[in-house]
Amino acid sequence: MKARHALVLLLALVVSPGLLRAQAVIEGRVPLPKGRTTPVMNKRYEIVAQGGVLSTNPPLAVVYLEGSFPAPATAPVAQMIQKDLTFVPSLLPVQAGTKVEFPNLDDTYHNIFSYSAAKRFDLGRYRSDEKPVPSQVFDVPGLVTLHCDIHEHMRALILVVATPYFVMTDTEGRFRLTGLPAGRYTLKAWIDSNTTLERVVELRSDTTLQADFP
Amino acid sequence: MSRPGPSPSRVAGFRRRLLVAMMLVISGCTALALYFAQRNLEANVEHDLQRQFQAELTALHNIQETRQAAMLERCRALVRRPRIHAALEDNALDLLYPSAEDELHDVMGGVDEPPAEPALHARFYRFLDRAGRVISPPDPEKTGRLSPEEEEQLALNGVPDRQQLGYLPGRPGDAVAELSEVVTMPIVSSENGEVIAALVLGFKPVQPGGAGSGIRSGVWVNGRLYASSFDAAAQAVLSGEVWRAAGSAPEHAESSIRLPIDGVPQLLFYKRLNPGSLFPPAYEVCVYPLAELQARQRQLRWQVLGVGGLLLLGGLGASHVLSARLSRPVEKLEVDSAEDRTLRARAEAALELTSAELQRSARFSADASHQLKTPVTVLRAGLEELLARENLTPDECDQLSALIHQTYRLSSVIEDLLLLSRMDAGRLHLVFSPVNLTQLIEASLDDLGALPDELNLAVETDFPPDLYLAGEKRFTSLILQNLLENARKYNRPGGRIRITAREEEGRVFLAIGNTGRPIPPQAQAHIFERFHRGAMGENVPGYGLGLNLARELARLHQGELRLVRSDDEWTEFEASFRLVRAPEPPAASPA
Repeated sequence: MKARHALVLLLALVVSPGLLRAQAVIEGRVPLPKGRTTPVMNKRYEIVAQGGVLSTNPPLAVVYLEGSFPAPATAPVAQMIQKDLTFVPSLLPVQAGTKVEFPNLDDTYHNIFSYSAAKRFDLGRYRSDEKPVPSQVFDVPGLVTLHCDIHEHMRALILVVATPYFVMTDTEGRFRLTGLPAGRYTLKAWIDSNTTLERVVELRSDTTLQADFP
Repeated sequence: MSRPGPSPSRVAGFRRRLLVAMMLVISGCTALALYFAQRNLEANVEHDLQRQFQAELTALHNIQETRQAAMLERCRALVRRPRIHAALEDNALDLLYPSAEDELHDVMGGVDEPPAEPALHARFYRFLDRAGRVISPPDPEKTGRLSPEEEEQLALNGVPDRQQLGYLPGRPGDAVAELSEVVTMPIVSSENGEVIAALVLGFKPVQPGGAGSGIRSGVWVNGRLYASSFDAAAQAVLSGEVWRAAGSAPEHAESSIRLPIDGVPQLLFYKRLNPGSLFPPAYEVCVYPLAELQARQRQLRWQVLGVGGLLLLGGLGASHVLSARLSRPVEKLEVDSAEDRTLRARAEAALELTSAELQRSARFSADASHQLKTPVTVLRAGLEELLARENLTPDECDQLSALIHQTYRLSSVIEDLLLLSRMDAGRLHLVFSPVNLTQLIEASLDDLGALPDELNLAVETDFPPDLYLAGEKRFTSLILQNLLENARKYNRPGGRIRITAREEEGRVFLAIGNTGRPIPPQAQAHIFERFHRGAMGENVPGYGLGLNLARELARLHQGELRLVRSDDEWTEFEASFRLVRAPEPPAASPA
């Protein structure tokens, strides 16, 4: 999976016009709200709802560079796995136009659906041996909430962004975006379903911009 | 002397009175017992019926509760469905009814196909938004058609945080079937725990009351009774009754009262179906006819009366037999007492005759004695005069002396006879005074010592000093002398005489024993009879008057004389007297 991921990323980088120019880097930090629990042992996040606001726990942010970038020539592919009656990962940022596969690694049926405005779909009931792996293409930017019709507690988010330049912060809120084209852009940080921070950044080639969100 | 004999009419009267008394008692007891038995039985029947009613009611409630629980569980499961949540939470209201349509397919059923669970047949469903307003369905055909007024009744003032149960009058009509049982179930957001909406499901109410059950039931809501099994008048009566009860009764009221409907008493039970609900209060109304109870009570009353009559008849028969049996001894008694009266009259006549004869004979004895005393005295004087002559030969002297002795004996006998005749005539009355028995014995012993002692008798004595008894000294002495004389007279040569006196429990006992020949047992009963001398030898002087006289005298002393013992070795008599205290020294005893 990771290899394919890397390959896709590499391909994206190769075909991106920024490759021809010198690349810029943004480093910074997003202020994250305090998590409700102490740091988890593994890197699995759950989606929590607090006052109707969805976020990960422990809190993480997705930082992405907004601008008008050409759509990818070939649709990138990402995966949202169902394992142990949870979604992995619980928050998946994808570029618009990405095809997300939903492999079922549990022994039971799952029925993934979304009523979100950005993407409404219903995969129906399927098991792990379903071929081909059920998938959906997400081409409208926005937040998509995933449900399982069978397991009412299962919840995951797919953040569809109209840019190939995005990254998830670590639990401290630190991020590093590399291979960015020079120019003036808006840098956004999605923190939860209600909160997206943004700031304007001026990128120059071969420089590393230190950009912290207030 | 003649008394009325046993009269049949008196016995019959007694029997009649006995019969009447027994009949009265039996009738009273039977009536009382029957009254209580009947009351008890009627109470039991009513109690049984009430219990039956309660049991049927409980069964009905159990069914209803089970169904309600199933209904609520179904609703609860529905409002947890992820699609419904997703439609509400992910702001996809357009998908709400389509999602619900899939989820509710089993309870709603299709247009043609019946629902999977007939008991949980939903007629319609709607969603309420956060403000409690009905979210209009895109296609009312699929969610169950409701008029705008009906839909209006589903709306609440804000979404409830708890499930609500209500009854919605549907199409015009009074049958239960026209009602809809409405459950409003809040939908709680899984994201923030707030109530974000509510699902309203209208079920077709179950038609209660199975076959054979006496219970008729309905639902009262909004001042109207919905029940198919009552006519209009009954509905009006029940409706008014529940209206009154609903106005005054507390929230969780359930009660049963008796109420006549169409002239038949009924047991009315009502219970709030949706306590605490935001919907208008609805009451379950159950009516149990008491006609059966009345019929059973009437039947019971007749049975009790029948049994009572039988019992009474039996009791009367028994009392008749019993009175006849009871009066039989009375009849016998009557006969017996008549015989007794005759016998008594005869005995009294005989007694009177005897008494007259006795008095005559006593008078004769007294007269005879008096008449005899004088000639004997004259005779003795003449003989003594003859004896005083000097020219008598010793032989003549002896003969004269013997004759004189005989005159003494004669006077003694006459004295005794006189005394006895006085006693027989009841003319002898003792003048009691303290008599010193000790002195009396000592004096008698002196006299005894003066007599010629041919038998060579030994005399033993044992008596305390100064023992006083109540008596007249002359006659007490006579008793003592008679007994002592007998003891001497009938003794054997060289024999013994023993005189003992003692006091015991207020009485004085004087015992005189001797070693004389025994009195034969068959003679012992007669020794106290007059002129009885037993089998004594003719050589022993006496006339058979002594013991008789002694006993009569002892009895006059308020005492007794009896033979204590008589066998080969010893014959002993014992006389008893009243003990008195010794007289004070100045009051000398009359000598």
